[in-house]
Amino acid sequence: MNRHLTAMALLVLMGTGAATAGTLDLGSDAQREAGRVLYDKYCAQCHGDTGDGKGIAADRLNPRPRDFTSGKYKIRSTSSGNLPTTRDLMDIIRKGLPYTSMPPWPQLSETELTELAYYLKAFAPAFADPDFLSEPLDLPEPPPFTEESAQRGSQVYTEIGCGLCHGELARGDGRSAPTLTDDWGDSIRVADLTKRWTFRGGPRRKDIFRAFTTALNGTPMPSYAESMSVEKRWELTDYVWSLSPGDDPAYDNVLRAKKISRQIDLQDLDGLFDAAEQAYFPVIGQIMEPGREFHPSATGVKVRAVYNEIDLAVELRWNDMRAETSGSNGPDLEVPRFEDDPERGASAGTARVEGSDDEDDFWGDEEESSGEDDFWAEEEEVSDEDDFWGDEEAEADGAPSGPETEFSDAVAIQFPSQVLSGNRKPYFIFGDGKSPVDIWFMDLARQRPEMFVGRGSSALESQGMGELSAVASFDRGQWTVVYTRPLRDGGVIFEEGSFLPMAFSLWDGFNRERGNKRGLTRWVSLFLEPGGKKSVTGPVVKVVLLTLLVEFLIIGLVRRRYRGGVQGAVPASRA
Amino acid sequence: MNLWVVLPVLAVMALLRLLKVGLLTWVLVWWGALYIGMRYGLAAPAPQSVITLYMSIVTLSLAAYVGSSRERTEGVLGPMIRLMSEKRYTPLLVAIALLIPGLAGYNAYLAAGLREEPPYFSRTVHPAPPPQITVGEREVDLIRSVNPYRELEESDPQAFEEHARAGREVYYENCFYCHGDALGGDGMFAHGLDPLPSDFTDAGVLPNFQESFFFWRVAKGGPGLPAEGGPWDSAMPRWEQFLDEDEMWDVLIFLYDFTDRTPREVGEFVNE
Ligand code: HEC
Ligand code: HEC
Ligand code: HEC
Repeated sequence: MNRHLTAMALLVLMGTGAATAGTLDLGSDAQREAGRVLYDKYCAQCHGDTGDGKGIAADRLNPRPRDFTSGKYKIRSTSSGNLPTTRDLMDIIRKGLPYTSMPPWPQLSETELTELAYYLKAFAPAFADPDFLSEPLDLPEPPPFTEESAQRGSQVYTEIGCGLCHGELARGDGRSAPTLTDDWGDSIRVADLTKRWTFRGGPRRKDIFRAFTTALNGTPMPSYAESMSVEKRWELTDYVWSLSPGDDPAYDNVLRAKKISRQIDLQDLDGLFDAAEQAYFPVIGQIMEPGREFHPSATGVKVRAVYNEIDLAVELRWNDMRAETSGSNGPDLEVPRFEDDPERGASAGTARVEGSDDEDDFWGDEEESSGEDDFWAEEEEVSDEDDFWGDEEAEADGAPSGPETEFSDAVAIQFPSQVLSGNRKPYFIFGDGKSPVDIWFMDLARQRPEMFVGRGSSALESQGMGELSAVASFDRGQWTVVYTRPLRDGGVIFEEGSFLPMAFSLWDGFNRERGNKRGLTRWVSLFLEPGGKKSVTGPVVKVVLLTLLVEFLIIGLVRRRYRGGVQGAVPASRA
Repeated sequence: MNLWVVLPVLAVMALLRLLKVGLLTWVLVWWGALYIGMRYGLAAPAPQSVITLYMSIVTLSLAAYVGSSRERTEGVLGPMIRLMSEKRYTPLLVAIALLIPGLAGYNAYLAAGLREEPPYFSRTVHPAPPPQITVGEREVDLIRSVNPYRELEESDPQAFEEHARAGREVYYENCFYCHGDALGGDGMFAHGLDPLPSDFTDAGVLPNFQESFFFWRVAKGGPGLPAEGGPWDSAMPRWEQFLDEDEMWDVLIFLYDFTDRTPREVGEFVNE
């Protein structure tokens, strides 16, 4: 509050004709006032009335809404540690930060965006200080993408050590990933570089280039503008860009299981799914039933399936920062009511990192100091790469290996227990009283599947293993779980050529997910594609012959009836 | 709507009107135009099963129109019969007789390449609510109930503001994940849902119903829908599990307040 007032007072001063005011782009009183009206309606509920990031919604969000009094902005055209330009702010407000609760605002006009940007600037005193004026960097236009460049980029990635945070295969699973916090002391997820649609600054090549050129202020993601040539940075860009299948996730609706002739054996999975088509389904938080998960770790699950005369096999893959294989998990574990009640705390940042005191103190200082010179001095220190790296290395060495966690990672597939008539299905969250679901659950610490019958989230019943079997493995940031079950034994029946609803649940032990607190998908469909080649000529010839026959019949009949022409039978019409 | 498709079709129809073509041509043109409009004219493509249903209705209506008077029947049948029975038309007849099976065969060829799609479920978005529901201990009459705080808008604007503010709090603690920050139905989880969360800025939603309708929807959520609403797919939570009755009325005040709309009065005619 205090800060806010100081900022406003300063702005008023600056607005009344200091010599440098022309270069400081702060807008007019009227613009800032218009910005305030927009802000109060659209932004304050998250970012707080005073811009401190403590709005109504804040406690359930991760990442938390930005504290604008800090002046720290992730997506900018200015160099590391510097303030964004007005244009930067307008751009990022319009586009939003994907896969966070910061939405895009395409409905706001250019004028409104300008007004909002000026109002945001008023929250941080540094914007009004000519010493901190920042010029946008000259970010080059991307050269054309080449495979060779991406290959060289892959070497750069290893040499530079991006993998320390982002992981060897860039799945967001680096050694120090679990320990990272942002400048406000909240744990922060490293970006999964194989999903560029989740990048806060956008998926395009110039966005990626900008990310490690300007850095993301307020996060551990450093700048490499000083340490790496432009050429190398483009190679790295091409490598990162090549890791994702596209700018969009292209989520699917149907999993198509291919019929194969080979035997399905969990001991011999090599190439089993080669013929199968992969489907990618979006995972969101379970926020429909008590025990809610507002920010699940997983954003999607890749699935493939094959079947033969006897068995069905389904393979699930998703990226995870770390495998939690100690502790235990279950779909029916109780989640205390207060965990999803922000009034009583304990929701957002469930995985707060211990031992990040250093940073806390560091930024604690910053919070207290209201003099801008202090503010800036500290900022400079952070953007100093050498120091930064020194710290980082030390932290990584001390990172705990194989930590004990209370909850392990887990996964489940869900099917209706019986095929229902019409379009009916059981309720998509673990079924309902009338129509139960089969839940193929697997606690990844125990490596043994367990079948549950669900008649609603609070009515799960274990059925043991039954005919179900499954194996799981974790490799460099990715879980792979394969389930098999006979087509017609031990629950729902799988029929060649028919559609069956299916849904998935994922639990990340790191995020303390268990029971209802989990990521899930809506109902999607499993289709067992009929085996054998589908013939095209057969149906085509049939249709052609049939229409010809009908035509001959009609023409023949008409000719017989009206042999002498239309006259007499039907009077000539207008034509 | 895809104007690049709809406008040319309308232009062709206007041209035919000027040319004063016969009834048979009109019937064929109407059928074709409606098919093209349905197939390519919509911004969001309709599923094949819906198009098939729609086109069979169109066929029936056209048949009914043609059959409704003797003159119309003759206007359509006359040219067809002449085509099939008069010698001078034989080349044209042969051409048409070959063209039709050709097209049918091509269609079958395309269909064979298409992938099978899951059965389509056309859900009723706004099914009729039950006459009353029980929330907590209390029975709420959905036909006659009004929002107990709505009258404050006139009688005590300050208290009304207070309820709108409380509703805003409820909304941003619970609803925006799905219904979006500006109530556009585009929250951060919306991409994972089908049906999509309702868009409260849509003129067809808030002003079209009594507030008690939405009270029912909020209290009982997706699982409270009748079968035609697809209760098994809807992610709309049962808020009676999380909120008390006051909070639910408050959040409705907020929804109307934020979007500047007013609810339908009790007993007002609903033209759904
Ligand atoms: C539903 C909550 C929510 C609403 C409403 C919201 N934001 Fe945000 N905003 C966030 C969160 C969460 C972040 C932090 C995202 C991150 O750090 O990755 C954020 C970050 C930002 C940033 C920082 C971007 C950067 O580059 O670091 C800006 C600027 C911003 N918001 C502006 C706005 C404006 C302007 C509005 C209103 C028009 C608004 N926000 C409305 C949640 C919200
Ligand atoms: C100290 C740990 C660390 C190192 C080292 C690191 N990053 Fe990051 N990086 C992060 C974190 C944390 C984020 C997520 C920031 C966020 O979500 O706000 C991130 C985000 C990113 C993003 C996404 C940007 C966006 O718009 O969301 C890219 C791309 C990226 N890093 C590439 C790299 C590359 C390439 C390297 C090596 C040159 C690298 N990073 C080194 C921690 C690191
Ligand atoms: C998990 C996602 C989710 C959350 C959270 C959520 N909704 Fe919904 N809501 C939906 C979906 C999906 C629909 C559309 C399907 C349906 O009608 O059931 C919907 C429909 C509605 C409708 C019916 C609108 C109509 O056109 O009939 C109302 C009213 C509503 N929601 C209010 C709310 C309120 C108020 C909250 C917060 C207290 C909320 N919703 C939270 C997903 C959600």
